[in-house]
Amino acid sequence: MATDIMLTVNGGQHRLAVDVRTTLLDALRERLDLTGSKKGCDLGQCGACTVLMDGRRVLSCLTLAVAAQGAEVTTIEGLAGEHDPLHPMQQAFLEQDAYQCGYCTPGQIISAIACVKEGHANSADEIREYMSGNLCRCAAYPKIVAAVQQAKPLMKGR
Amino acid sequence: MPDGKLFGQPAIRIDGRAKVTGRARYPSDEVVANPAWAFLVTSAIARGRIRGFDLQEARAVPGLLDILTHDNVGGEAEKPQPMSGGSTTPTLESDQICHDGQIIGIVVAESFEAAREAAHKVRVDYEVQQASASFDSPGAEEEVREAGEHKDYQVGDAEAAFAAAEVTIDARYGTPTQHHNAIELFTTTCEWRDGKLTVYEPSQFVYGLRGSLAKQLRMEPGDIHVVSRFVGGAFGSKGGITARTAWIAIAARRLNRPVKLVPTRDQGFTIATYRAETRHHIQLGATPDGKLTSFRHEGWEVTSRPSQYNVSGTETTARIYACPNILTKVNLVHADRNTPGFMRAPPDTPYMFPLESAMDELAAALNMDPIELRRINDTQTDPATGKPYSSRCLMRCYDEGAARFGWQRRDARPGTMRDGEWLVGWGCATAAYPANIGPAAARVTLSPEGRARVQIAAHDIGTGAYTVVAITAADRLGLELGQVVVEMGDTDLPAAGLAAGSSHTAGISHAVAKACEGIRARLAEAAVLSNDGPMAGLDPASLVLSAGMLRGPAGQSEEIQKALGRAASGVLEVYAENLPKGVPPDAMGKIYQGQMAMSRGHGREDAITYAFGAQFVEVRVHARTREVRVPRAVGAFASGTIVNPLTAHSQYMGGMIWGIGAALHEATEIDPREARYVNDNIAEYLIPVNSDVRSIEVIMVPEEDSQVNPLGIKGIGEVGIVGMNAAIANAVWHATGRRVRELPIRMEHLL
Repeated sequence: MATDIMLTVNGGQHRLAVDVRTTLLDALRERLDLTGSKKGCDLGQCGACTVLMDGRRVLSCLTLAVAAQGAEVTTIEGLAGEHDPLHPMQQAFLEQDAYQCGYCTPGQIISAIACVKEGHANSADEIREYMSGNLCRCAAYPKIVAAVQQAKPLMKGR
Repeated sequence: MPDGKLFGQPAIRIDGRAKVTGRARYPSDEVVANPAWAFLVTSAIARGRIRGFDLQEARAVPGLLDILTHDNVGGEAEKPQPMSGGSTTPTLESDQICHDGQIIGIVVAESFEAAREAAHKVRVDYEVQQASASFDSPGAEEEVREAGEHKDYQVGDAEAAFAAAEVTIDARYGTPTQHHNAIELFTTTCEWRDGKLTVYEPSQFVYGLRGSLAKQLRMEPGDIHVVSRFVGGAFGSKGGITARTAWIAIAARRLNRPVKLVPTRDQGFTIATYRAETRHHIQLGATPDGKLTSFRHEGWEVTSRPSQYNVSGTETTARIYACPNILTKVNLVHADRNTPGFMRAPPDTPYMFPLESAMDELAAALNMDPIELRRINDTQTDPATGKPYSSRCLMRCYDEGAARFGWQRRDARPGTMRDGEWLVGWGCATAAYPANIGPAAARVTLSPEGRARVQIAAHDIGTGAYTVVAITAADRLGLELGQVVVEMGDTDLPAAGLAAGSSHTAGISHAVAKACEGIRARLAEAAVLSNDGPMAGLDPASLVLSAGMLRGPAGQSEEIQKALGRAASGVLEVYAENLPKGVPPDAMGKIYQGQMAMSRGHGREDAITYAFGAQFVEVRVHARTREVRVPRAVGAFASGTIVNPLTAHSQYMGGMIWGIGAALHEATEIDPREARYVNDNIAEYLIPVNSDVRSIEVIMVPEEDSQVNPLGIKGIGEVGIVGMNAAIANAVWHATGRRVRELPIRMEHLL
């Protein structure tokens, strides 16, 4: 069954007709061509699809597109324009080599930004704990922790 | 050896910005117009046949477009040919079912949601036969693996030497079924235009995918275009073609519309490959002063019914330590399972665990430090063949790793290094991986702006291959990294081999370097022949490219743009193929046809080429709960030339953390009655998460080896995992006095 919805993504408004079963992840990827958010399990297990909804990190594979109406959705593409300076967290991931294949990276970066904003980045142990919902099979974990620590002081006021 | 400035300097990935901004296009991110969606129907039984389908309910789903089964498309494609093991299980070619989760139907609909709904409404009438799940299952067939792709070693008389040995270890070990579980799923998108097929699929070998698909679909390879610009993790799982691709191509042809498949995580456990469970029997004989006198290693590996796939890691274990008497043997056990395949350090990860555990047991039996035991048996000559190692810095790795780790503070008695509630244990083990290399071709184009474009159908599976190619070209052409553009992962580009076996960096760097040398030579020839230039009359071989200039031996120089103007009216383009030592003369042709061709570290005539490492682990076992943690690990590796230390560090570190997963977390559990994987998701198949990992230290021991290949590159992607299983098991023994010979080591083994 199709229904019309309005999504606010990265500051832009999008009117879409979607199957009521369509997840926010599939709507972003397949309808809005925002393919930065990744599908790794479709079960809420891996975190590769993490986006911000009103500043809070959510798993877009477990969020129906219809339920995302009225919220400000931010995806990895919304952090920096194609020719803009990177967000400090993106820059830190780049410099720390906090990834290998890069597939989980958009979810890690979104999650890391939320981790800092939530106040859950006060120690390496705390970062490890609060970043453990984002799996990285290449296992860049120590560098992800280093990236969060690098970016945190640069995120004040953002 | 590389003489430029960029080799060995840490460089941020040239594709890094694309990755951190979400703009890197993985195959399922590629845009196709108005795709239909496929969803796989997989078998609910492991052995038998399909009597028939009831498709009525499925066909009634709004938006349904097509259902493919053996009834309507069975004859349209052949089974894929695996790169190793000869044959594999069927899918839609027939009504036969050879493993649980086998693809038996493909539902195509207007949307992902409709395809999924209809797939769940396909009813199947099965004729069920009793399936064999694994080792010891009734009906599983065991056979001795004949010499072919892999071989056994017999040196001296190992049985007699074992019988006569004063100190012996005789033990059995086991490793579990494991699945790669890259975060990216096994996606495929197919699109036809004018009889030509484009496939977007993550791949470690785009030419291999093209070649196999052409055979399966009875097409000309040139009519198939494979695109895989980024790969979301592979670890071996995306090396060989799987059955899904041909059927998605056929689905797209039937509809005359692009078809997109994003299989589920659980389907990934059965539609692709995995690391099969193994068993081992090791016998070591030694003198009281620690010299090995006998080494016997017999392995057993599970495979599917039709496949002969095996990894035969005895090809590594037979040559790690000096020993006058060696005997190896490998057995296959056929069960009703999907066909296994390459998974990170395929032979060495499961086979080095028993050897390096047994060496630790021997050290304990001899009351000797385990590093000392390795030193006594270290060798620069391969004991299995008598050939020299091109280089082998194992003991330097041990010395540097031990110093960093603080090994001298270790109390050798198990259970003595307690810290409050935690039993502390320190263990070490040897890592080794053959230095393999494949042929590759590359095209380098120099533009009048002094920028270079490098084209090579190589694969960046997270290894940093894009950056390795750029570093090589910039280094050789005397350019900045930012002046080099790299195109990869596409069969429209010059061919490169399988990105596996830690061979890719070596293979592609040499091809790119050769093409760059072609550019240099053309510039140099033009420069020495032009009367008005500063290099007129010089020997062209004496001219070099550096810092944007063509330079002569006495300080003569000219900007590269100007030098280009003498050699070409527009751009200068050079295509080069590199055939490394040890591959047959037709190897490049084989790569273009999609076949594997690789020179292996234990297959060369002149020398044995291996990377080595020493791995150290501290474990903490909780005194009451027996929870096992790894607070720190140190790995010291000697792998020849390191092209980019930044990404190399990530590779080694990732391998070590894989080892933590393999030793303590990972196992695919199999229901023995139904021959079915039961934890087929990444919440129940446990891979390491961020909070499982603390300190991981990587030491890159400098090593120069001009014999392994001209650039001295040995490969690093796999050696990092190899010693971890045993290092952790040895540390657990040191912490608790408990010797665990079955992986993974869990609380219940230590109660």
